[in-house]
Amino acid sequence: MTRAQSKAKNPTGASALNVAPSRYHTRKTAVRDALPYLALAPAFLTFVLLLGWPVLLLFLTSLQQFGLFELLNNVTTWIGVDNYYNLIFNSPAGLPDFPTVLMRTVLFMAANVALTISLGTLVALLLAKLDRWVRLTLTSAMVLAWAMPVVTGAVLFQWLFDSKLGVVNWAISSLGVFGNYLNHSWFDTGLTTFAVITLLIVWQAIPFVALSLYAGILSIPKELPEAARVDGANERQIFSYITLPALRPLLLMLIFLSVIWDFKVYTQIAAMNQGGPDGQTITLSLYTQILGPAEQQFGVAAAAAVIMMLLLLVVLVPYIRRMVKSQEEQ
Amino acid sequence: MSRRTSRIVTNGLGLMVSFFFVFPVYWMVNTAFKSADQFQTYTPVFIPIPTLDNFIKALGEQNLAQLVRNSVFVTVSTVLLSLIVGFLAAVTLARVRFRGRASFLLLVAVAQMAPFEALLIPIFLAIRNGLPGPFSVLPIGYNQVPTLILIYFIFTLPFTIWSLRGFVAGIPVDLEEAAMVDGASRFQAFMKVTLPLLAPGLVATSIFCFITAWNEYLYAYTFMADPTNYTLPVWLVSFRTNFGTDWGATMAASTLFTLPVLIFFLIVQRRMVGGLTQGAVRG
Repeated sequence: MTRAQSKAKNPTGASALNVAPSRYHTRKTAVRDALPYLALAPAFLTFVLLLGWPVLLLFLTSLQQFGLFELLNNVTTWIGVDNYYNLIFNSPAGLPDFPTVLMRTVLFMAANVALTISLGTLVALLLAKLDRWVRLTLTSAMVLAWAMPVVTGAVLFQWLFDSKLGVVNWAISSLGVFGNYLNHSWFDTGLTTFAVITLLIVWQAIPFVALSLYAGILSIPKELPEAARVDGANERQIFSYITLPALRPLLLMLIFLSVIWDFKVYTQIAAMNQGGPDGQTITLSLYTQILGPAEQQFGVAAAAAVIMMLLLLVVLVPYIRRMVKSQEEQ
Repeated sequence: MSRRTSRIVTNGLGLMVSFFFVFPVYWMVNTAFKSADQFQTYTPVFIPIPTLDNFIKALGEQNLAQLVRNSVFVTVSTVLLSLIVGFLAAVTLARVRFRGRASFLLLVAVAQMAPFEALLIPIFLAIRNGLPGPFSVLPIGYNQVPTLILIYFIFTLPFTIWSLRGFVAGIPVDLEEAAMVDGASRFQAFMKVTLPLLAPGLVATSIFCFITAWNEYLYAYTFMADPTNYTLPVWLVSFRTNFGTDWGATMAASTLFTLPVLIFFLIVQRRMVGGLTQGAVRG
């Protein structure tokens, strides 16, 4: 505090030092002007060389015939948009059709986002109503799920859903409502494999959404719902006319983030069943990984990745705009 | 419904939801401590007679020491590299007004959201044979462990800058100026006043980098060919595939892999909630 006071008594401070324009000072000023750029140079170069260059290379590769031959002999054959054409109209053999993969990825993303956001909102509303100790229990429980490494989660869910010894099949069978699930294999069809993967993703994604929204609910002034209640509003009206409008910007950001994350999911799907059974759970991320480094059809794989990136831009652009705006206002 | 009953119902629901989140984690730890005859039963054992056999088996895995070394080496190097480069940029962005500041901020935000799943192919093509020119002496390339440091560095740098910038901006510049009035140089003022206050921010940011690098799977799986060059996530997935039904050892390995992440995560959890959705604060 004393330091702040002494500053107030001495308002000339550091700026007074810049007044005298001697040669010494101009040189010093030049150095000082360059300093911010020097400090930013490593980060800037990293972005341009290690991020900008790959993005450019991705577009260039997608316009080339680029297989094992081109890779080994270092030749470049430009083929225009042939990769895109082939990708869509005669998809590479041995993998599901690209349009199917694309459609599947979008549906998978939509299901995950819808479940994450709706259940996350419900959990947030629940958190606001709980007694202190139950709220603490639920928060801690969610942090456990949230913190779990994705790879561990995938391995763990395979064990939970194991056909013979998995605890889930035992539990469903014990309920007696759905019949006997012992030896039921979840990883035999694409749909049930997706169901397990979605459960894993939603299990790990709800905590972030719910805790963010709960923080948002806490920031709504208590007088608003109280006044509404006095005026005779019921819980549903309070939610629709007070809570939801207050949370709207936050919800929008969470939806953007979830769309971005769930659209490019790789690890959960790959670690769970390697895109199986029979390629039925191959989504865009797996498709480019398998087609590229594994099958060495880099040109076609790059075309798929470009399409993936362009689709992501639809949500990335508004998300980034909001992030930057909020930072500049600080 | 009376108020009392509705409170009981709500709290009961809260406990059920808690159970849904805890159970898988509990089941992992529970299985890890079970002997084979306790996890190979149709009727699950909920409270096992604990044994350390699975941990001994998992830790006795061939090459494990090497894999732990790989993971620790890659993770720690990533954190350090990201912190040094990110710190310089963050302090500049938070404290200095210069031309191009807004554009750089935009660049960081864009980089932070870069879809690395889509950039796998060009990154693979660009560095599988090493870096060009004078950088070719670096051990970067296909099946070379340090390659992952470079890749994870790009992953984590944008967030590091973004996050540290926020922490620096949160420390009033008046404090530094006051120290300078008292005779400290600008550098001294920064080192003695701002840096200590920045410690929590540095810890939180490095933990984020740690978790990202420690957990990463796609690039490690694509770039590393020899099992001795794997990082722990790649090992864990292949371990499960190779061990087939030895769920006890798999769960013990999973538990050990998760433990450091969990500890670190608990430290920074509170800060994670705000950061990514800041843009929502003012709409």
